[in-house]
Amino acid sequence: MKVAISYPPILNNHGQKAMVSQNRNVQYFQKPTYLLPVVQAQAATWLQKLGHQVFWDDGNAQLKSYLQWQDDLVLESPDVVVFESTTPVMKFYWKATTELKKLLPETIFIMTGYHSMRRPEETLQESPMDLVLSSSHIDFVLAKLIPLIENNHSNWREICNIEGLMIRMQDGNFRDTGRFRQVEPLENSPLVDRDLVHWKNYAEENGNYLQTPGTYASSVVRDCMFGKCTFCRYNGEDLTFSVLPVSQSLDEYENLVNNYGVKEIFDDSGVWYRGKEAREFAQGIIDRGLHKKGCYFGFNTRFEYLDEKTIALLAKANFRFVLIGLESADDETLARLNKGYQIQHVERCLSWMKKYGLHPHLTIMVGYYWQTQEQLDHTVSFVKDLMFRGLARTLQVTLCTPLDFTAYHEECLRENVLLTQNYDDHDMSKIIVKTPIPHDAYYQAVREMYSIAFHPLFILRQIRFLLSFRKRDWQFLFIYGVRAIRRVRQHIFNLTREQGKSKGRLEQAPLEQAPAD
Amino acid sequence: MHKALHKVLGNESLSSSTFKLQIERDGLEFRAGQCVNLGLPNTGINREYSSYSGEQEAELSFLVREVVDGDVSPALRNLKYGDLIEIDGAYGLFTLPESIPENNSNVFIATGTGIAPFHSFVRTFPELDYLILHGTRLSEENYESGHYTTERYVQCVSQENGGYFKGRVSDYLRENPQGIDKHYYLCGNRYMLNEVYDILREQEVSGSNIMSEVFF
Repeated sequence: MKVAISYPPILNNHGQKAMVSQNRNVQYFQKPTYLLPVVQAQAATWLQKLGHQVFWDDGNAQLKSYLQWQDDLVLESPDVVVFESTTPVMKFYWKATTELKKLLPETIFIMTGYHSMRRPEETLQESPMDLVLSSSHIDFVLAKLIPLIENNHSNWREICNIEGLMIRMQDGNFRDTGRFRQVEPLENSPLVDRDLVHWKNYAEENGNYLQTPGTYASSVVRDCMFGKCTFCRYNGEDLTFSVLPVSQSLDEYENLVNNYGVKEIFDDSGVWYRGKEAREFAQGIIDRGLHKKGCYFGFNTRFEYLDEKTIALLAKANFRFVLIGLESADDETLARLNKGYQIQHVERCLSWMKKYGLHPHLTIMVGYYWQTQEQLDHTVSFVKDLMFRGLARTLQVTLCTPLDFTAYHEECLRENVLLTQNYDDHDMSKIIVKTPIPHDAYYQAVREMYSIAFHPLFILRQIRFLLSFRKRDWQFLFIYGVRAIRRVRQHIFNLTREQGKSKGRLEQAPLEQAPAD
Repeated sequence: MHKALHKVLGNESLSSSTFKLQIERDGLEFRAGQCVNLGLPNTGINREYSSYSGEQEAELSFLVREVVDGDVSPALRNLKYGDLIEIDGAYGLFTLPESIPENNSNVFIATGTGIAPFHSFVRTFPELDYLILHGTRLSEENYESGHYTTERYVQCVSQENGGYFKGRVSDYLRENPQGIDKHYYLCGNRYMLNEVYDILREQEVSGSNIMSEVFF
């Protein structure tokens, strides 16, 4: 069968593109980051190995217009199209599928992603989608489903026994095949075929790379081994986590470094290995000599997961970029978010990272529906302090936006603080919850934190940091520095364009359901 | 979410590798099966552990396997009465339904310390209809099996003679199907989870009746 793994280009009224991949929060950017959707890439690889024809169809990364993307897809005329969606682009997908179904009436359309997995009936009601896949293990499900469809073309809807599907039946009813399989043996999913997914399209424009070309590794942990944070998609009673063995991940790194010449590998697992496995991996990198090939390695982690011994070994193995969710600087907020760590331990962890030359990148959110001015001010001053002292190298600030019926989203609905029911408003460009202080205060906080990048003290710290690099790493200054300034300006534009406009609008808007046009 | 320093009340060895840590409750609320993060003060590092005690018990207890070269568990093993421990939590959704329906029958399948949340279930809901299938390497690893009535606890010992069944928990389940209408809760290492899931599906148990929680 011919299967298209498709990401249509989605533009907003400002001409910005939505970044839909990796199942993370969607944001619109003029100059987007192109993220390789790793699980879909594994699915594509697996299907190709099974003998199916795969059309890797990322209209964003391939720089297509919507019409060009649509024309190309119709020309390809695949048997199956697989989409991935999240709350702010649901309405787009429903409309796009309605149009495409007219152009490709025989094609089977499959929706994946964390929004539709929480509300599968909704997508089947609002669009002509043929089935919704509730599982986060898209590769495992498609590797079973596509052969089943191929071998039972007339009655696959009736006989399909694969868990985690909501299927549109011929009579218009929906059939639920039950809860999906939570844990899968990730070692059975093939490592990504980099050529199939045109890896170079994702090799440059990504803020998580200190050097390029960079790439994403097959995630060693799928979903999240912690999985308790209320705002995160990797938290739900049907979600636990699956792990890829250390040796298999090392094999992939070796292939990427030696055969593809990558200079940076980032693992976007919700939380990467910790403890014994983290040390085993770092030692494996050293034993294979990969730490001497000029390639940096990076990952996401949590505070209170890595000790000094592990951080030292990771640094020796040439790990650099470490993304850590700080989220807030007050313990009440951390507790309400189920972050599972205390603010008193943040500095110690960052000090270890600084000591061994890692590059901590902090992610912070503002605009929680309970966040007071005092809590907000405390977060801003805490972040400034960390940045000016060189304990963190870079940061990213976002507006906490309820999405995909996460625990935080459900809590906002339960507490009646959500100011809109229009999914388009969940695009992280504005605060959409009632808050104890005016929304402008949060936008101002965003501006203030991003402006740290232009402060002389911070610039001095960065130059001192760069001077500590080896000579060949000076490309960082040109590649990352220039890109960072562009990103900072873009973030400020996106997150503060609502500043001064909010009073009397969304903050006080009545709840109303926007039509799915 | 509760966060505080709690006093250690006891540390009891249950096998050569596993111990039960008893901690002052100090107002911590949790649902049976939820986990907390445990860490030693001023170390800046913690790990998740599932509740072992019941919701109504006066003390908290956790079942801990000492991981050789581990970051936290060797230090937990050395804790003694009066020492302090940091707790963040409780959280997690590996719990029984808030209102347990009548005639609800459960099969709890665990390897090693994966039995902890099931112990918490049983201590919290004494009327619960359940069967525990517990896979261990050694017969000594039947942690406090006296807390379950004999007919509700099946120890499957894989690496020596002993227990109720010689072999892995998956072998027992393959030979002794438990029925398609029961609710299956799986907790333990991922290899067991994958194997048991396949067996249950072969035995035509619906995926909706299977809940899993991975332990390292």
